Amino acid sequence: MLELRELPGDVLGVRFSAMASPCELLLGRVESDLALQLGSLAAAEAQRIEQKFSRYRADSVLGWIHRRRGSALQVDEETALLLDFAQQCFELSDGLFDITSGPLRRVWQFDGSDRVPAPQAVAQLLPCIGFQKLSWKSPWLCVPPDMEIDFGGIGKEYAVDRAYDLLLARCPVPFLINFGGDLRVSRPLPHGPWKVAIERPDSARKAAMMLEVEYGALATSGDSHRFLFKDGIRYGHILDPRTGWPVPDAPRSVTVAASSCTEAGLLSTLAVLKGKGAADFLQQQQVRSWVLR
Amino acid sequence: MQLEPTIGNLRSKLIAASCALLGGAPVARAETHDVVDTINRALTDWQLDAALAYYHENGRIQAVEPVINAEHDLADGGQLDFDFTFDALSGSSPNGALTSRQVQTFASPSAKSFAQARHMYTVSSGNLPVDPNYSDARVAGGASWTLPLSRLTRARLGGKFSYEDDFYSATVSVGLERDLNDKNTTVSFSVNSENDFLQPIGGAPTPLSDYTQFEKGGHETKHGVGVLAGVTQVMSRNWITLANVSVDRFSGYLNDPYKIVSVIDAVGSPFGYVYENRPDSRTRRSVYWENRVGWSQGSVTADARYMTDSWGIHSETAQVHLRWWLPGRDQYLEPSARWYRQNAADFFRPWLADTAAVPSDVSSDFRLAAFDALTYGLKYGCKLTDHLGRFGRELSEFNIRLEYYEQSLRGNPAGPPASSGLDLYPKLQAFLLQIGFSY
Repeated sequence: MLELRELPGDVLGVRFSAMASPCELLLGRVESDLALQLGSLAAAEAQRIEQKFSRYRADSVLGWIHRRRGSALQVDEETALLLDFAQQCFELSDGLFDITSGPLRRVWQFDGSDRVPAPQAVAQLLPCIGFQKLSWKSPWLCVPPDMEIDFGGIGKEYAVDRAYDLLLARCPVPFLINFGGDLRVSRPLPHGPWKVAIERPDSARKAAMMLEVEYGALATSGDSHRFLFKDGIRYGHILDPRTGWPVPDAPRSVTVAASSCTEAGLLSTLAVLKGKGAADFLQQQQVRSWVLR
Repeated sequence: MQLEPTIGNLRSKLIAASCALLGGAPVARAETHDVVDTINRALTDWQLDAALAYYHENGRIQAVEPVINAEHDLADGGQLDFDFTFDALSGSSPNGALTSRQVQTFASPSAKSFAQARHMYTVSSGNLPVDPNYSDARVAGGASWTLPLSRLTRARLGGKFSYEDDFYSATVSVGLERDLNDKNTTVSFSVNSENDFLQPIGGAPTPLSDYTQFEKGGHETKHGVGVLAGVTQVMSRNWITLANVSVDRFSGYLNDPYKIVSVIDAVGSPFGYVYENRPDSRTRRSVYWENRVGWSQGSVTADARYMTDSWGIHSETAQVHLRWWLPGRDQYLEPSARWYRQNAADFFRPWLADTAAVPSDVSSDFRLAAFDALTYGLKYGCKLTDHLGRFGRELSEFNIRLEYYEQSLRGNPAGPPASSGLDLYPKLQAFLLQIGFSY
């Protein structure tokens, strides 16, 4: 379902829903027919990626891979590229970013309650976590029987970049593509940069942070609404896959500007995983970033 | 000395990684994806295994057996399983009589009398009496449906049939499985019921009747019920253990209609033969324990079973398979060994003396004797050219398996008078060659 709306400053918006998030394509002055056409292209790409990589759907690549655990599979090119990327991120982050951390969800349910799992329950899961335990040599993948993989940590940002590539060749005017807060712009509007509101996680829409973007991408990671609270300790939903426990002192939200949404997303995720060291880490990487604690 | 990565080092690598991901080969767009979808749907998640086995016993039976197994994953997480087997057996089968110095002559099972028998066979001195015209063809198939009832519970419904010239069998089973403990533990419970119909060639003989009187006729039935409870536990990333206990009970006609027992006189000559008779019910209890341990270069499966039954038999089995992947992980060698030991059924008698009364239950079938069996096997498998699966290519596998089986009677049951020097209980040796392909 596409919804067209006119915004101030000669901007057209096409809204749709994908990846369990509100999504929107914003465009400079074009015919509304073209806007809808481009919007449906972006929506179709988001849905394609969602369907293909969903861990909930039996007919997704992940459904297939999980049913065939234990045997060697030759995955398609796109899945192979994502696995390569996930492997490099795993290695670059010394295991902080890990697409095999899914089993931890079985014991951690971030519903705002005080149900913090027993240490033994967490420890029991650690043997089935760790990218290095997968057998992966592009294009051959073998997932051990008790492991899972999940592209949730990069899927949305990857979809933004893919949709961006599709539109770049077809859209005659500047555009901004936004999937649930992760976004990328092609170039500034004729009258200036894009103005983007980033939600403050703690107080939803009251005090949005306004950013101006001319080129590149923004991605935000954080634990706004997902946490557990017990004995005065807030357990955020960012889990360290090496320990199975939430990262202590994780910032509530980190927004990073980078050239692609995938890169921005990874940097913001890694920054949150660094906990107390988030700001130092971002400074070292020489990226523009906004850390909210 | 700088311990932290240099400034922006991680970022520059990340940029390179992102570029590889995003600038990579063209991605299937929505339009082409649909096409691939349609082509693949026909192949979706069918897994086929086919094998052809050749079995040969020393001087006895040989069998050729094609086996086909198909598995189909359903979109709701369920699974369908089908298998189909065809056996063609031919050769010689022991008829139960004891080896003698004398020439022994028998009629084939279809005979109604010696005078009118179409086939007779003669066993020369010192040889185990076997019916040389033994042949049988068997068609068997089965299907099972596993259906998820909830995220953690599955039901399994199954059916099997088997058809031979003289034997029909049908089995149904119902089972439940439940995952516990974050899916690290699975418990299962199943019940099954089997109904068999026997129509022996020439008719079912009257148990314990004199072989030369040809008291035969009619058909027989047997019925079995069984329950099985099991638990599978993931012990660690590399180790799975499973255990089950089962009890089953068969009742009805449990004899082998073609087996006779020699009645020997005081000087060691065959005085006559009687048809065997077994108790008309049998209850078996067994426990089974299996462990699978895997590592990057291979895996080991080791299992043990203990069985005891109301016929006085108890048996122990131990088996180990070692799968070892050759460098490159596309070929493997799998040596295996199996050890089996059982003691004799209470009513096992290799022969009867003509001076003693015939017991109410008696059989000379070597399968009910005390024996040891050893099986050695070696399997080689290699991954073949890939084929199109749902989202990419999957490997097919070719494998070849060779097994050697040796069974020898234990305890050396006493022979009749004047039988020294005769090989009364010859060793059984068999080999099996199987060629398989899984797709």
